[in-house]
Amino acid sequence: MITLVKQETYKLLHKKSTPAVSIALLIIMTVFGVLSKLYPKYWSAKGMFTTMYTGGSWVVLFLIAACSSIIAMEFQYGTIKELLYRKYYRGEILVSKWITMLIYSIYFYALVFVYSLILKVVLYNGKFNLTDTYANNQSIIETQFMNLIGQFLSVWLVLSLVLLLANIFKSTAAAISIGIIGYFALSVVSGLMFVLMQKWDWLKWNPLNMMNLPAQLTSDTYHKMTLLSTPEMICGSLAYTAIFMAISYVVFKRRSV
Amino acid sequence: MSDIILDVQHLNKSFGSKHVLKDVSFSVERGHIVGLVGPNGAGKSTIMKAVLGLFNYASGQITIDGDAVSPTSHQAMDKVGALIEYPGIYPFLTGMQHLKLFSKETTSQDQIDEIVDRMKMTTYIDRKAKTYSLGMKQKLGIALALVNRPKFVILDEPMNGLDPQANKDLRTIILDLAKQGTTFLISSHILSELEKLIDDLVVIDKGQIVYKESMATLESGGKRLLVVKTSDDDKATTILTQNGYQLDQTAGVSIIETDDTKMADVIKLLSDNGIDIEDVQHVHSDLETSLLELLKNDKVKES
Repeated sequence: MITLVKQETYKLLHKKSTPAVSIALLIIMTVFGVLSKLYPKYWSAKGMFTTMYTGGSWVVLFLIAACSSIIAMEFQYGTIKELLYRKYYRGEILVSKWITMLIYSIYFYALVFVYSLILKVVLYNGKFNLTDTYANNQSIIETQFMNLIGQFLSVWLVLSLVLLLANIFKSTAAAISIGIIGYFALSVVSGLMFVLMQKWDWLKWNPLNMMNLPAQLTSDTYHKMTLLSTPEMICGSLAYTAIFMAISYVVFKRRSV
Repeated sequence: MSDIILDVQHLNKSFGSKHVLKDVSFSVERGHIVGLVGPNGAGKSTIMKAVLGLFNYASGQITIDGDAVSPTSHQAMDKVGALIEYPGIYPFLTGMQHLKLFSKETTSQDQIDEIVDRMKMTTYIDRKAKTYSLGMKQKLGIALALVNRPKFVILDEPMNGLDPQANKDLRTIILDLAKQGTTFLISSHILSELEKLIDDLVVIDKGQIVYKESMATLESGGKRLLVVKTSDDDKATTILTQNGYQLDQTAGVSIIETDDTKMADVIKLLSDNGIDIEDVQHVHSDLETSLLELLKNDKVKES
């Protein structure tokens, strides 16, 4: 298994897009850091920091693209046969890809976390302290950390769906579009969803509602909208992720290549 | 260790309602080069994929070196190298990176360099694969199949896109490896090339094995003809028939050779009768002729 993860990492690192994406992420975060410094009217310094200078949102895009391509590229390049005819079990091949993506996502979140600290020190040193209270009786650093954990869990819910779709459609385009639409559809449909949930209580268990986890973690009133407690939401997210992964596993194992 | 490295027994496979492999049974002897031939869509690639554990099959048994092979049982694959259909290549990696990626821990850099050298890929091996031509990709695919020095190699249309020199190089490599004990299962439509390599032949048509014999048996089974071109073909035909020679009706004056047939006797007989001989040729039935003959009989009925 370690060999397989190493091989997946080798491929990932040798793609031109991999370093390019990391660099782009740092540039975007810097730009937003500088903008919030220049125009404090539009962006609050503390708010920018807690959302990691928009880094978190970009990471979602990059991870959706990476997850769909790590599966779909093998079908696209015809390399799936070379991967599968070896002595390894099929399940191991798929799990090695998941582990690689898990490592990649941890790397991304660590990167945006560390870089947001650096930006804070460089741009706002002395302006505010990380231990200042932000909202919801949480300090700034706690809010940021909760944001990060919440995003991580809800992103993996989306990623498990993307991994499944890439597996079914064998194409990056379909998986990426549905993943991105899925993630950003939340803000569009959440108003309607909350209304419907008031009417039909069971609707609160739908996967889109689980994606409200980052908001709920940083607010003490959000649970009135989502109708779920935070532990319920965390369990729900993990359960959906596990279900999508399990379907992926079955599809991959049964596929003829 | 038995002499059989690959054993396929009663293999059946369907895609939906289409029965693509029907009770396929054959075995491959260790160290032999076996040709798998048949018309397009006969099931060659399907057999190869099943042998590589890429397919679920309805019934049957496949063993490599004694170990059962199925999509859930892959231990035997440690001894196998393969190129199926077309080489799977990552455009963002160089040829050398491919070889490193797929080489086992026991495979040394020297072994990688050796196969690169033998396939004459040194000039472009460090270039990204997206710049490769069809033939270069094909060579890389073959190198990937051979790099771990597997005991058993499966090559599906390996000559695809190769230039004549590369074809000859590949032939040399395959024959060398076979001499050292590597077993090959090769499918190809380029029968003239395949003929120069293989020890045994397996012919498949419409999902069924229609022929499996050694090349020696196939060759001895074919007709050998002595074709003569004369100043008066009609007269020559009459004279030869009168003197007890068997003639083949296909083209011109074709004498069916037996062990007793001597060219000198034929020439003498004809010139004694005042017929000038312009040309004499020995014609052996080659793999192509034998194969087409075999498939024309159409022993297999479509189901």
